[in-house]
Amino acid sequence: MSSTTETIEPPAGRKVSLKELDQAVIRFAGDSGDGMQLTGTQFTNTSAAFGNDVSTLPDYPAEIRAPAGSLPGVSGFQINFSSRDIRTPGDLPNVLVAMNPAALKVNLPDLEPGGLLIINEDAFDKGGLEKAGYEVSPLEDGSLSSYRTISIPLTSLTLNAVLQTGLNRKQAQRCKNFFALGVVYWIFDRPLEHTLKWIEAKFGKNAMLLEANRSALMAGYNYADTTEVFTTHYQVRKARLTPGRYRNLTGNEALALGAVAASVHSGRSLFYGSYPITPASEILHELSRYKRFGVKTFQAEDEIAAIAAALGASFAGDLGLTGTSGPGVALKSECIGLAVMTELPLVIINVQRGGPSTGLPTKTEQADLFQAVLGRNGECPVPVLAASSPSDCFWAIIESFRIALRYMTPVFCLSDGYIANGSEPWLIPSDRELPDLTPVYAQDPATFKPYAREEHTLARPWAIPGTPGLEHRIGGIEKHHLTGNVSYDPNNHDLMVRTRAEKVARIAQDIPPTEVLGDSRGGKVLLVGWGGTAGAITSAGEQMRAAGKSVSTVHLRYLNPLPNDLGEIMSRFEKVIVPEINLGQLRLLLRARFLVDVIGLNQVRGKPFTIREIIQKVEPYL
Amino acid sequence: MTVDGSAPITELKLDRKDFVSDQEVRWCPGCGDYSILAQVQKVVPTLGIPRENFVFVSGIGCSSRFPYYMNTYGFHSIHGRAPAVATGVKLANPHLSVWVITGDGDGLSIGGNHLIHAIRRNIDINIILFNNRIYGLTKGQYSPTSDFGKKTKSTPYGSIDQPINPLCVAIASEATFVARSIDIDTQHLTMVLERAARHKGISFVEVYQNCNIFNDGAFAHFTDRQFRSDRVLYLEHGKPMTFGKDLQKGIRLNNLNPEVVELGRDYSPEDLLVHDEAGAQPTLAYLLTRMHYPDFPVPMGVFRCVETREYSDLLTEQIEEVSRKEGKGNLDSLLAGDETWVIEEEGAILESVSGRERPGEDEESYHPANNLDAHEEPKCAIRRSVLNDRIGEVRPDPPIIASPADSIQSAIERMARERRGAVCVVENDELVGIFTERDVLMRVALKGLDLEKTPISSVMTSNPITLKADATLAYALNQMAVAGFRHLPLMDGKKAVGMVSVKDVVRYMSENMAG
Repeated sequence: MSSTTETIEPPAGRKVSLKELDQAVIRFAGDSGDGMQLTGTQFTNTSAAFGNDVSTLPDYPAEIRAPAGSLPGVSGFQINFSSRDIRTPGDLPNVLVAMNPAALKVNLPDLEPGGLLIINEDAFDKGGLEKAGYEVSPLEDGSLSSYRTISIPLTSLTLNAVLQTGLNRKQAQRCKNFFALGVVYWIFDRPLEHTLKWIEAKFGKNAMLLEANRSALMAGYNYADTTEVFTTHYQVRKARLTPGRYRNLTGNEALALGAVAASVHSGRSLFYGSYPITPASEILHELSRYKRFGVKTFQAEDEIAAIAAALGASFAGDLGLTGTSGPGVALKSECIGLAVMTELPLVIINVQRGGPSTGLPTKTEQADLFQAVLGRNGECPVPVLAASSPSDCFWAIIESFRIALRYMTPVFCLSDGYIANGSEPWLIPSDRELPDLTPVYAQDPATFKPYAREEHTLARPWAIPGTPGLEHRIGGIEKHHLTGNVSYDPNNHDLMVRTRAEKVARIAQDIPPTEVLGDSRGGKVLLVGWGGTAGAITSAGEQMRAAGKSVSTVHLRYLNPLPNDLGEIMSRFEKVIVPEINLGQLRLLLRARFLVDVIGLNQVRGKPFTIREIIQKVEPYL
Repeated sequence: MTVDGSAPITELKLDRKDFVSDQEVRWCPGCGDYSILAQVQKVVPTLGIPRENFVFVSGIGCSSRFPYYMNTYGFHSIHGRAPAVATGVKLANPHLSVWVITGDGDGLSIGGNHLIHAIRRNIDINIILFNNRIYGLTKGQYSPTSDFGKKTKSTPYGSIDQPINPLCVAIASEATFVARSIDIDTQHLTMVLERAARHKGISFVEVYQNCNIFNDGAFAHFTDRQFRSDRVLYLEHGKPMTFGKDLQKGIRLNNLNPEVVELGRDYSPEDLLVHDEAGAQPTLAYLLTRMHYPDFPVPMGVFRCVETREYSDLLTEQIEEVSRKEGKGNLDSLLAGDETWVIEEEGAILESVSGRERPGEDEESYHPANNLDAHEEPKCAIRRSVLNDRIGEVRPDPPIIASPADSIQSAIERMARERRGAVCVVENDELVGIFTERDVLMRVALKGLDLEKTPISSVMTSNPITLKADATLAYALNQMAVAGFRHLPLMDGKKAVGMVSVKDVVRYMSENMAG
């Protein structure tokens, strides 16, 4: 939190200094029953509406309700807000709010040295300390001396403020997250209006709860304002953002919205077949609310039925979509092969999580790239696209549908647990800015051949059941190259294998040129990334260039086929480094395709890269 | 399967030959599949459904080659998954007559899960399970319906698996139509297939089918002509259960157990069980599925046929009901979501608008204008006017009306002649779209369309955002701001009565606020 300090005259007469920051990172952490996600979301929306650029990352336990106060039950929410354009939820938090000892223990290692630590001292009783595995209270043994620790009896202060509204003790205690939020609002000089309005809207029908939450929030704010615990508060000015109307959205919300937009702009109903799986289930939840757009959601009996039904729907003329995570893709693989063979439009979302097997369901990873590009029997090419940020998920899925419809092929749209749950402000596009995806159908029985191909895209025609005269049979057995009838002819199989490969390869002629951030003429280091690491890699590149280093970055949307110009771009740089949250999957693909000696920057810790990690690992090559 | 009302039987004049594809049938000579194919080709032309509305879906196995031989739409999918693929087909287009062709391995082993779930949903597809009690295509391993002790390539010392009973599975999964027939009894098979086709909801038919290569004669001991009448019980709704050459034997219920009795001395037909395929509980149907040769004659026919809500109908109804309640979806308001804020040029916030396009909430409560400082009467005249004045007071000009088939050329000419920026596209007195000067630029000029030949319907914005006369200026401006629209039709019910342009609003404000 580098800053300039000026002293202002506070209303209470005490000396309070106001520091200006261009960026701050706060993490709220508590038990999963403490309402940390809500607290974080309120702070985010208030800051966004205030005009900051924001980026967030929730971090919740895999267990729905782990035992209260235990280490596995800790839930956190990190927000980065800034007066500049930011792309990640921030590396190390500057402020940590710990609602109990377990939250402190889990999160303290991340707090920056000298950072501000706000602790609910009421929770540091014998039971609480034991559950977190503390023998001695960290408040007493000096272990927090390298932080600016502010210990507040949050629970009892909340009770004082709230009990008068008539709530019982248990209910009243639950308001302590808003007390904490009030304190943090004061520290960062935030307006309360947004949250007060939210409380009104949320609890409007229950006067007691409304009053209690309002009282807790105000009490927290006033506590910080009037006691002398805090001597500084901070200001983070509005960011200079592209003018327009904004909203916040997560990656999973963006995928759902993009799919609906693709449906509207293609004129075909959306059919979403899915089976609940972390971290992709929110897509199903979202889409199931959009019946008014004619969206059909089908919660299938398993992953296989989910994709099989989506493919059946595509055959019958709907926009087929299925969404899952890595283990689900493993089950769907055979049906993806069927979609390749029958050449039907279908989009498969993989919100990647830690693997293999069940792995780390609530943590992020990028280790399903091989699975998407290579993971099927036979020569089975599938276009693979990846989203690079929460809001980019919207554009990535629309582009996935464009390719699926234009080339009559299944398409992978990769996301990951980090951008699926993270959120950022999004400049809302208008309906009219979205591409026209109207597909072409076969209509004329006189000329119809099920596997005759469009000259440029090599797409076969989409002949929808119900169209008179176009009755035809498709399936997973090799097809004659025109009629689609079963064919075991060796030459026909060779032709079809090569044609399917060529069809997907030609998509590379239909994508925008690769953009180099930095010096496109060349230099010392080029960072090549893909997917949800975009924020950290791009910011690392910018910061290193600002420090005079020769570092440029490229972030790939298209992983299969790879952009044709990428080999030439890489050749302009002395070193090409690929940061990935896996052991080097894109690196291997780049080496295989372009014969370039790409260097890997890999870690697989279930967490996104921090900007600092990338800078530290790239610097030795400069 | 019900008959699609839009296609009267008399006009179709389809026969068996219309459903024979140009593909050579490649089952082994003597296979029971030939008979089933022939009976299906005999039944489907009689259903009054146009040929293009049939879809046959199959999995993997000998029987699953079936779709290639039907001159209809067909999908030969992957092992066990046909019920799931067919579910997607039916949900995408409920007007289609969807059939699943499967076998004992495909349907009950690898695809058992999909089978029970398709059945419990009661989706309107006809599942025909060819049961030959053997894996034929993989050359002779035992299947989930093979008898205990069966010697096959993979069980040289006899199978130690207990067989599964397909009809028990169907009934336990709450199937609304359950039937059984035999490949060689063509008349009976035709009757059963036709009834299955006409049932609305899931239809599950088990067909005993002889594999003359790997399991020849699996059913011969009761299906052969010479003893069929003594060993097969033909079920008929409402009739006592009798069998035998002269119908001298019957099935009686002794406590909860069926037993075979001789009619004459001790028992008369009144003592026998009467078949009821439509019972409220599937108890009787289940009891019948447990009757096996040699202790009992093998029941054939319709075990159960009841009507309940069908799945694709339920989905369609839900979509229609939600659309009626919440209004047809508008993409711009969906993208804007519940909470938005505006960044102005200098980085300041204009206002925060919240609570739109949230299903299940009262429409009035999320009228965006309600969120603009609803508490106090604004002091500034412009602000007051924006919040309180109604768009009807702006008195926009009546719209230029075009029909969807009009050419782009004619629309542009009228816009130019009347010096107006937008056209309302109207069909049967209802507004179906809007075409604006912006569209001329973005959708027409940039794409180089043929102005004379292209109908306006292909470039208009369908289901545009509209205004009612009592909407506030704030609401209109908000709609214009969110999506960048310059023109919004003013509606009276479904009829467009005006076209509000940004210019109209600016003119109104300047006239009313100048003084």
